[in-house]
Amino acid sequence: MLTVCHLYPDLLNLYGDRGNVIAFLQRCRWRNIPVQLLEVNLGETVDFNQVDFLFLGGGSDREQNLISDDLGQRKVFLHQAIEDGLIILAICGGYQLLGQYYRTLENEVIPGLGLLDYYTVASTKRFIGNVAIELNLDNQILKVTGFENHAGKTHLGNIEPLGNLLSGYGNNGKDGTEGARYKNVFCSYLHGPLLPKNSVFTDHLIKLALCRRNMNKELISLNDEFEKDAHKLMLSRLKLSGGD
Amino acid sequence: MYFFRSIAVLSGKLAAKLSRLTGGRGSSLPGVVARRIYSRVLQELACQIKKEIIMVIGTNGKTTTNNMIAKIMQAGGHKVVFNEEGANLITGVTACLVRSASYTGVVESDYALLEVDEASFPKVIQEVQPQIVVITNFFRDQLDRYGELDKTVALIKNALHKLNDITLVLNADDPLVAQLGQSTKHKVIYYGVARQQNWERPAIQTRESRFCPFCGGELHYHYYHYSQLGDYNCLQCAFTRPELNLEAINIKTVNGYINADICYQENCYHLSLRAAGFYNLYNALAAFTIGCLMEMNDAIIKKGLDRYTPAIGRMEHFRYQDKLVLLNLVKNPTGYNEGLVTLLAMPGTKDVFMAVNDNDADGQDISWLWDVEFEILASLPEEAIKSFTCSGTRAAEIALRLKYAGIPINKITVIPDLEQAVPAVLHGKAKMTYLFTTYTALWSAQRILCELAKKEQFDADSMPSVS
Repeated sequence: MLTVCHLYPDLLNLYGDRGNVIAFLQRCRWRNIPVQLLEVNLGETVDFNQVDFLFLGGGSDREQNLISDDLGQRKVFLHQAIEDGLIILAICGGYQLLGQYYRTLENEVIPGLGLLDYYTVASTKRFIGNVAIELNLDNQILKVTGFENHAGKTHLGNIEPLGNLLSGYGNNGKDGTEGARYKNVFCSYLHGPLLPKNSVFTDHLIKLALCRRNMNKELISLNDEFEKDAHKLMLSRLKLSGGD
Repeated sequence: MYFFRSIAVLSGKLAAKLSRLTGGRGSSLPGVVARRIYSRVLQELACQIKKEIIMVIGTNGKTTTNNMIAKIMQAGGHKVVFNEEGANLITGVTACLVRSASYTGVVESDYALLEVDEASFPKVIQEVQPQIVVITNFFRDQLDRYGELDKTVALIKNALHKLNDITLVLNADDPLVAQLGQSTKHKVIYYGVARQQNWERPAIQTRESRFCPFCGGELHYHYYHYSQLGDYNCLQCAFTRPELNLEAINIKTVNGYINADICYQENCYHLSLRAAGFYNLYNALAAFTIGCLMEMNDAIIKKGLDRYTPAIGRMEHFRYQDKLVLLNLVKNPTGYNEGLVTLLAMPGTKDVFMAVNDNDADGQDISWLWDVEFEILASLPEEAIKSFTCSGTRAAEIALRLKYAGIPINKITVIPDLEQAVPAVLHGKAKMTYLFTTYTALWSAQRILCELAKKEQFDADSMPSVS
């Protein structure tokens, strides 16, 4: 049985990011891989050792303030889980929270969990629009599409980006990187949401989760016509190859 | 001043004519042109309004509420100017006053009823001083245009602080709206809906805000209507749903249409709504409140509400051969969820059409589709919905959303071109056709429907009645 954990679904739930959880669950169910969902809210306990896929979305500033104490108390356990190879997807605000700090426009420094080596600086210009990135998953080159909407610019330290930008702004609008990756932690600004129409990426996460539990990681192929159409449409909009 | 104003009005009117000749809708263009010629045109036209200016703001229900208010005021014999098509940016507001003005720039109306876009509200009130502001609700909408919901609410709050001598008409059931009564110190009239007895509706969990706008504590709900609307109080501080001045009780629904008793100052009046959808009860309540504020009697208010016919896409009715066809504009998760609940409450089998565009006016980000509870459609009996037709510039994405909601893919057809998709769904085998479209797909969908199907006017006999 795989366990998917959605952290703070009531608070960190901007921009339809719960679609990532839906996509992971459904693609397991369609293959008869037993899977369950744990929704963990403020003050509720969770044992990360029992979790196979952890999803952390973004919220508004107010909502992120509400969860910061609670999340801070989970830091040690989260650190351990990351080192143990827990598969984590963190999007937008969730991505920023795992980093060192967030500096506001008023120069106030809001500490992050400090689990990953990057920091974010607020800017007056919002990065909004469709995005495509190219990422390398076990030597498989993959194009991924989504939508970004963030005022924070993230600067990576000693950590790999999730992928290279093909179109859009990415982490900071300057260095051509998008997101961050450490072990099995995948961070990104991509909404859309990310997983449903990038089904090859989703299946990669499922394989990682199965592999970590020593379960059979050969996945039955599914009819992905709608996924491919949605993905291709965005690639062709952005005038990238792989589209129609 | 007079000269410039009259040139601006003339040019605006001319622009409207030219635009219509070339097939445009021209709902904001006269405003753009008139403002370019004379920047004070809106201010000078608005200050001629003889009695009062009422503004309607909020995420959902602005157009319907404003049009219902207009019908009530007209039933009371007042001369009104209102932006009935929902052009609610400052240019649209200007355009509606330009249209109502004489060629010499004179406005003769008693009341101006203006729905105003939330982001434009601070700008509009710099030029137009309202006497009454109605706030319907705050839900997430087109986030890529506005930023986050909290910012929208803060924007409205700041703007309200700058106004003097106004009366607020607030939806008490929405904590995000009700808080504005306490934090702005204006005179407030609250409306709300009582607990529904024996009411069955699918549980849709997505809520905007379960947390107190004042202290951040968790809000406890005695009951919900939908989204964050209901009866609540904060577990940490004194914030609670305000006492209602106007309340809807004894709510009943027949085939998706609402009946209720509206209570105001010791009296209750029976109301049968002629618009489908629970959210229209809120719209009618807001309009009813304005009628009461204007000291109109209930018979006139009801007469006005009876004359309300839905604006384009606001549950617009058509008939195709022997089938009922409903056109439902959807712009955000809450509106879409309520549309789905209305669809489920309609009798008989359905063919469903869903068009999603991602032009600027729709919002380029379509992520919000994943906050809509399409899952409730998957739990229906196999035959209840015969087919889903997905259309628009992001047709594949809505198909994808339905697939992940658990709809069998053999029921889903993707036809991006509206010209082909609308006829295809009308030819479906079900007893009724239900069309959902985002903003920019609405106009084409409506035009195609008008060509193929008969636009239905309400007549009292065909309405479900509950006595």
